Amino acid sequence: MCQWCLKHGAGKKWYMNAKNYQADQISSEEDMVNYLEEQWMNFETVFIRKIMGFSSKNLGYKMQMPLIGKVLRWKAENMIHSEKDGRNPQRADGHFGQVIPLEDGKAILSELAAEPILCNYCMCRWMQRGEKEAVCLNFGALSGVLEKMPRFMPKERTNPIDREEAIEILEQNNKKGYIGSVWFQPVPYINAICSCESPECGGLTLRNNFDLKAVYKAEYIIDLDQDKCQGCKQCVAMCQFSAIRYIPSMDRVIIDYDKCFGCGVCRHACNNDALKLIPREEYPGFDGEY
Amino acid sequence: MGKTTINIDYSICGESGKIDPRECTKCLKVCDPAVFIMHETIGMEDKQEDPYDPQDWRITPIWGSLCNRCFKCVDACPEHAINVKW
Repeated sequence: MCQWCLKHGAGKKWYMNAKNYQADQISSEEDMVNYLEEQWMNFETVFIRKIMGFSSKNLGYKMQMPLIGKVLRWKAENMIHSEKDGRNPQRADGHFGQVIPLEDGKAILSELAAEPILCNYCMCRWMQRGEKEAVCLNFGALSGVLEKMPRFMPKERTNPIDREEAIEILEQNNKKGYIGSVWFQPVPYINAICSCESPECGGLTLRNNFDLKAVYKAEYIIDLDQDKCQGCKQCVAMCQFSAIRYIPSMDRVIIDYDKCFGCGVCRHACNNDALKLIPREEYPGFDGEY
Repeated sequence: MGKTTINIDYSICGESGKIDPRECTKCLKVCDPAVFIMHETIGMEDKQEDPYDPQDWRITPIWGSLCNRCFKCVDACPEHAINVKW
């Protein structure tokens, strides 16, 4: 389990703790709604907002600066994981997530997620590609906030959806190759399951390019049964993290465990049952590597 | 690779230009590493009549260090508003 499980998991994984889904258990419902409203009204501007006087424009170059770069990185990490009073909703302070496999997503949607559940347009794909794709599942206080913002609401589906429908949407996205992820916004309130894509996802961009922990790797890691792998390469195309590679000499794939986020999406492409997710702690070299 | 500078001419594309980036989005789509983001303009909040449904948008080349210098955005921009140099 990661540090956030220890802090907010009540003995379980952080996203399996029912309390984290209840806005009124964390602060007043009204405060939470106001925070989320301010955050989502301004969400596309999040990277323009300043940290230490620097915006995220050309963040890669700024973090290469001697000393200042290190302080900037430290500040950015603190901002992403902030639990302090006076968090800034316009910078999305305290907003980060973790990759989850389909099974955990289903468990959240079937019991834990607070109603109403909405399926709305992915903000990241809109801001980075100009594409509107309804793949994000939001729940509880966030649903009421998003309803007011036309750019996030699909015209064909403006009403809340039931749990079965939400699970079906998540499953379809997962099979397509999108990565399931669950989000604190702001920590410890959980109100979204996304189906992410790299590099469009704002969180994955920060993680993959700048090693900022806006998204943590899953509590799981993939395990390949070498005897079962027939070398069909289908899984290679599914992996968004380039963690699977085909080796012609042995006619099978190999896994780069360091790159594996444990999303389990590759399993959908395997017809030979060669890929399985195992808990990260069962893999000694990668236990604790979130 | 040294520092790449990408500039967008906001007098052509953006809140005061003739192109509404929300209608065009060509540079967003053509860029493999997704260097650009589209966002509502800030610093001119009073101009945004409805904060829930902002109408003034622009594009910022936010992740300049990921640019591959392929020049696809320069070619794709219908009004030649993008310039890339190093």
